[in-house]
Amino acid sequence: MISRRDFLISSSAAALAVAAAPPLLAWAADSSLAIPGKEGMIVRSYRFFDLETPVEYFNTWLTPAEHFFVRNHMHEPSAIDPATWKVTIGGEVEKPYELSLAELSKLESHSVVNTLECAGNGRAFQRPKVPGVQWQKGGVSTGRFAGPRLRDLLDRAGVKPTGKHVMFRGLDEVPGKVPPFVRSIPIDKALNDDTLIATHLNGAPLPKHNGFPARALTPGWIGAASCKWLTEIKVLDKEFEGNFMSPGYRMPNQPVKPGEATKPEDTHPATALNVKSAISNPADGSSVHSHVQIQGVAWAGEADVTKVEISVDGGSSWLPAQLGKDKARFAWRMFSLQWKAPNPGDYVIMSRATDSQGRTQPTAPVWNPSGYLNNAIDQVRIHVQA
Amino acid sequence: MSRHRALFCGLLSFLAMPLLWAQSASNSELPPGPIQAKATTACTECHEARIIVQQRLSKAAWTKEVDKMIKWGALVEPQDHDPLIDYLSANFGVDKEDYVADRTRAKEKNPKK
Repeated sequence: MISRRDFLISSSAAALAVAAAPPLLAWAADSSLAIPGKEGMIVRSYRFFDLETPVEYFNTWLTPAEHFFVRNHMHEPSAIDPATWKVTIGGEVEKPYELSLAELSKLESHSVVNTLECAGNGRAFQRPKVPGVQWQKGGVSTGRFAGPRLRDLLDRAGVKPTGKHVMFRGLDEVPGKVPPFVRSIPIDKALNDDTLIATHLNGAPLPKHNGFPARALTPGWIGAASCKWLTEIKVLDKEFEGNFMSPGYRMPNQPVKPGEATKPEDTHPATALNVKSAISNPADGSSVHSHVQIQGVAWAGEADVTKVEISVDGGSSWLPAQLGKDKARFAWRMFSLQWKAPNPGDYVIMSRATDSQGRTQPTAPVWNPSGYLNNAIDQVRIHVQA
Repeated sequence: MSRHRALFCGLLSFLAMPLLWAQSASNSELPPGPIQAKATTACTECHEARIIVQQRLSKAAWTKEVDKMIKWGALVEPQDHDPLIDYLSANFGVDKEDYVADRTRAKEKNPKK
């Protein structure tokens, strides 16, 4: 612990640096990028926004909106007027119709706590490296989403027997000739009780970066299944055909060797999330005292996390972590373990989650050409002080 | 913490500032090179440099990416195609050091009233 005297000495040293370098500090004040409503986030891309949640913010069950990760494939809508916004419901239905935000808000609202994870989270750890946003650990967050059930909207339209998939279109602004971000989910998932047209996050209207005024919420599935800035819901007689369904967001049917290409016919759409964990404390590369509070979060998409184990010896042996009391079907569990380092020195701390489907995190990333769904055991390196 | 260590930390922070600047500038701009201007025009019309600067790809992977982007509207003259791939491969190849990302500004914890 730093004593008051040490603190004053440190402050004096810092003050010295401040006094000596006003121009540089003026720059330093501007070195971080200001994005109102998104605080202390890792900038994977500024135009368009791809903002990663630093793992130190995995210290609450619900991620505050200002720390909730953002994944945009293209530009956000330049202007959304809640008074004129509407969503259309059509396609393979008996009675197509549209809803204003005021009408949507009058429908019975349901709440689902969901861990939302970008399919590409952890892509940066794939070897060989693959193209795409180089997410490390924080392309994932957990929020309490609320809004009407998609099923209620579809029931009102009357889905025809030919309706097999439900397509979502957002108001993203497409640059160049980039294909629009349009995807579909199977009708069974669309009619699930927990699939929502969410208008709220953690009790407040959705932030613009997270899809205001309404987004799909396809719980337990990759983030790409939860289209933001929703403007069209269309029932289709088959899976939507478009870049973000194929070749985008597809997984190989069989394991592929690192660096190997896959044929489109040997792939399937990425849907539910893997079992996975992330250590939020201690920080990677930190120097700590011998009593260490190891903590983090673990999630499993549509399955339940049944246990999290911790290794402090590089994976030779494993200790059970305590799971947090907060839980919901599609939400991560917090975990913790008090550990006293036997000796000063360097340690590798690892976390490994197992779920109700019997899945356990693999030791190394399972490689695929787009680096999706990397759920390798997490690890941090620390130094325990004498 | 000793007085020397505290002073050392302060000095280190001071000395590190230009390095931080170099990192930040390099994240938002494409690096100097024979085709920097054309690469900037072709790529950053739709997205900023960061999305390129963070990649570490082989020449084969860069070729695939450039061809995809041309299909999606990037304006690359035929004579610039191969030099652009060479430029991207040379600057953002698999052997380059790890990319360090910027952060968004964090809210002041105890703002002065």
